[in-house]
Amino acid sequence: MNRKRLFFPALFCLSVVLLSSCSGGNGSVYRQSKALMDTYVTVTVVSPSKDKAERAVQDAFSTIERFGDLINFFSDRSELSKINRNAGIAPVKVSAPTLDVVEKSLYVARESEGAFDPTIGPEIHMWDFHKKIKPSDSDIREKLPLVDYRNVVVDKKNSTVFLKKKGMMLDLGGIAKGYGADLAVGALKRDGIRAGIVAVAGDIKTFGLKPDGSPWNVGIENPRQKNASDEIMATIRLSDEAISTSGDYQRFFILDGRRYHHLLDPKTGHPAMFCRSVSVITDKGVFTDSLATAVFILGPERGMKLLQKLGMNGVIVDAKGNIHITPGLKGKLTIEKDH
Amino acid sequence: MADRLLFLVLLIGSVAGIFIARDALPQATGVVIDVAGKPAYNFPIDVNRTVTLHGPYGKMVVEIRDRKVRMKEAHCPNLLCVKEGWISKGVIVCLPNKVVITVGGGTAGPKGVDAITR
Repeated sequence: MNRKRLFFPALFCLSVVLLSSCSGGNGSVYRQSKALMDTYVTVTVVSPSKDKAERAVQDAFSTIERFGDLINFFSDRSELSKINRNAGIAPVKVSAPTLDVVEKSLYVARESEGAFDPTIGPEIHMWDFHKKIKPSDSDIREKLPLVDYRNVVVDKKNSTVFLKKKGMMLDLGGIAKGYGADLAVGALKRDGIRAGIVAVAGDIKTFGLKPDGSPWNVGIENPRQKNASDEIMATIRLSDEAISTSGDYQRFFILDGRRYHHLLDPKTGHPAMFCRSVSVITDKGVFTDSLATAVFILGPERGMKLLQKLGMNGVIVDAKGNIHITPGLKGKLTIEKDH
Repeated sequence: MADRLLFLVLLIGSVAGIFIARDALPQATGVVIDVAGKPAYNFPIDVNRTVTLHGPYGKMVVEIRDRKVRMKEAHCPNLLCVKEGWISKGVIVCLPNKVVITVGGGTAGPKGVDAITR
């Protein structure tokens, strides 16, 4: 009799113990956000202890902050500003991370045949998307000769970067956040963290698995969100992969019924109009960030060809709202909403 | 006697388990306000209140009401933080004032996602 009376309470207690173990046995999830690199950064880690998690997260933040200081377009003290000030004058000696991210930006520029171009600076900085300022067509045309990645000289031996023409401006805004996410994940791993996510705004790098053994579940923002309930267009399950999204809804204004956004075609200086959003998935954030922009500029057909050539995956929402998905995402992607 | 001992062990284990589970989600029900990169305030989301902060661009007012949070007032150049409106989960950032308001533990959004690419 006593045994029967004790059976269900004991079973309940046992189930609570087992459930707690699931969340705590493989470590617990800790998350923290901080304003860095002119955006917000969220670091999520799986760790057996809060102290270890906090130390690692702070290390990740410091890593991103140091890198952000090197390539800050708006800071006179950054290495990037020094390169820009010396355009047409002299090569500038830079640190290893700056040299590396510039080299990688030129690699993506070459592979995309200039659809992504880190020398877009003179064009993009004539626009003000908050104040709805569009430069005149003649101003856009005048600056176009300054946009050409082939006029960037990287000397690996002497660790220098040189812009051949006076007035050229490197702007690494289309690649640096993804690179920062990669650096932060490297720091977390060196601190003994085996799973987590670094999200530098929407540039996300995942590694390892959640405590329950499942991949990380990342939402892709709906480019035509109408209300709070349709924020997510699709979800994707990732582990040890990065994802970035470029969209015409991030920085834009509407003028005379036309949408002007920040993803400029380096060949025309005007916003590219073939897509609403592009998400790219591969192992490194530095490539997801820059290639999301490149594919957006190229449009769905040429963009899909580029992704296939590079062996990367992607989700493209074209200008009419049609979705194009690379075959490699089969089983990983769930479409949630209209877009 | 053995049953009672087993029951006691499991009861202690289950109570301990509740605290382990709470520790796993340390920010799940709070509003954390970071100022200049450091946690400055931590409020429960279920108590209505307004919080006044001061930053490089002057006064900011954060409002917590009906388990939602918004930047009610700010004087930064673009007012993106104010335009964000009410959120019940996620992050409101005012970069010019170096303020990050994290609600319910961060970027986890609808449908139980761990992060959102945007």
